[in-house]
Amino acid sequence: MIRVADMTVKGAALAAAAAGDFSDLPIHNPAVECASRERIRAIQLEKLIAQVEWTYARVPWYRARMDELGVSPADIKTLDDVRKLPFTDKSVLRDTFPYGLFAVPLDEVVELHASSGTTGKPIVVGYNRADMDMWADCIMRLVQMAGVVPGDRAQMAFGYGMFTGGFGLHYGLQKLGCMMIPAGSGNTERHIAMIEDYGTTVLIATPSYALHMCEVGERLGFDWESSSLRVGLFGGEPCPPGLKAEIESRMHIVCTDNYGLTEVMGPGVSGECLAARDMQHIAEDHFLWEVVDPETGEPVPDGEMGELVLTPLGKQAIPVLRYRTHDLTRVVCEPCACGRTTARMQKVRARCDDMLIIRGTNVFPSQVEDVLSGIQGVTPHYRIVVDNEGGLDRMVVHVELKPEAFSDSFEDMERLRRAIEEKLKGVLLVGVRVKLVEPGGIERTTGKAKHVEDLRR
Amino acid sequence: MSVQQISVFLESQPGHLRRVLDAFEDAHVSVRGYSASDTGDYGIVRFIVDDPARALEVLGSMGAAATATDVLCLRLDDTPGELARVMGIMADCDINVTYSYSLISTYIALSVKDLTRAEELLAGEPVELIGQDDLARPLASAEGR
Repeated sequence: MIRVADMTVKGAALAAAAAGDFSDLPIHNPAVECASRERIRAIQLEKLIAQVEWTYARVPWYRARMDELGVSPADIKTLDDVRKLPFTDKSVLRDTFPYGLFAVPLDEVVELHASSGTTGKPIVVGYNRADMDMWADCIMRLVQMAGVVPGDRAQMAFGYGMFTGGFGLHYGLQKLGCMMIPAGSGNTERHIAMIEDYGTTVLIATPSYALHMCEVGERLGFDWESSSLRVGLFGGEPCPPGLKAEIESRMHIVCTDNYGLTEVMGPGVSGECLAARDMQHIAEDHFLWEVVDPETGEPVPDGEMGELVLTPLGKQAIPVLRYRTHDLTRVVCEPCACGRTTARMQKVRARCDDMLIIRGTNVFPSQVEDVLSGIQGVTPHYRIVVDNEGGLDRMVVHVELKPEAFSDSFEDMERLRRAIEEKLKGVLLVGVRVKLVEPGGIERTTGKAKHVEDLRR
Repeated sequence: MSVQQISVFLESQPGHLRRVLDAFEDAHVSVRGYSASDTGDYGIVRFIVDDPARALEVLGSMGAAATATDVLCLRLDDTPGELARVMGIMADCDINVTYSYSLISTYIALSVKDLTRAEELLAGEPVELIGQDDLARPLASAEGR
């Protein structure tokens, strides 16, 4: 029995999670989300066979690749047979720009989106009605994991535009029965006024923008604790656990983040439930997942870290097969305390292509994030600048000082700065220089935060 | 008797000090003396102002990292040897001056570790200590001549 009304009380979802009682939290589609592993795999196999047939029959690029590899749709008899299929890399979507991978006539396509272009040139994707329904289904699942219910008032702080995050969440939340407040990105003070005026209960934002909003609100004397806001839905960039905990305590809301990428759909591939905060439930009936060694493309042993590879199931307009996400994660299939049985992927904290090589050592920006979130006196905002002036790689981490950590003493400031350097060196295993910057000195973005500037030649 | 000094953390970048000074001007905070020193990347700018509470409020609303500390403030006569005489007294009293800078006219601010002890020691010495009220007054009358 789902008593969803209880969840609209501010703090109820977090309190229930803390007590280990998830009975009041809604589950959108228990027939799939709580099905046996056998049942889930059966659904996946049936849909995979249909997907490969659909793709082979309609997309010349895939037909040519599969013919080259000597594999036909009839060869797909088990889920493991997915390995016979070719991988798809981002370059394929770029090379076939704009419509080369489309499997339906363009007059069936109801919406276009493009990647936000964090890396390389943009790519474009299309959706037909069935795809839009599938997408909304994924969104309805993940928002309910955070306790969002019909009737919630959801304020969008993502940009709409071509980015999948804005409209993706918008349609799903609206379909669930939420009142959408399409504020869009930017103008933080207006956002805060709208929360107050419209009684907003759900905020959709990047975690770094949510923190910025929190800081601006505090400066304006806005009382987050007594505000109507109850849930934060984060996406667009990885959310370090320390940052989420800070936002939850300062804004008095429950926050979850979700995962997805334009190339396979957009947000909604997986979402965080309140039982296991570091993991995200994959919408497995919509996405077949594999975890492979990024070097060899071969599967890694169960539960180990590797690159996530996704095949959307039932996606019609652009049916990509075995998309290489370049995101590093591990997947576990044990049932979750929240009641769901769908596989869970560890939150993506690193991408194969995010990795920096500093004087021969592999460094991930997420490692810097982890160190900073454990240090009093600095904010979680940072920026890494790498150059090789003088021939040797040099990494400088710009770190924002918190106002309360400042004293009138260079000695204290230098002690803090050196302590951060030491901690970073201990984790990264490579020497870095820390540069302290003023509070607010690191640029806040409403889209993906750009953390790394690589000036090496 | 001592005065409050307002210290601000600033990056060594063009325009950062100006932003603070513009805000002071808008809030009618009058700067009576200052010192700016840096490490290459960042600096601490120290201000002596007529209204330290308002200055802190202004900086807080800007989200700046700022703090208030007490420092000694002495009035010197504008005659040759006066600074040497005063610093000689500090040395004789065994007070270490961690940093010092001059304010309007011939006032100097001195940071010391133990302010209370320094005040006691200097009470019997031929130096003129200045308080916050003196700084709020117009220059001519504060100088008393």
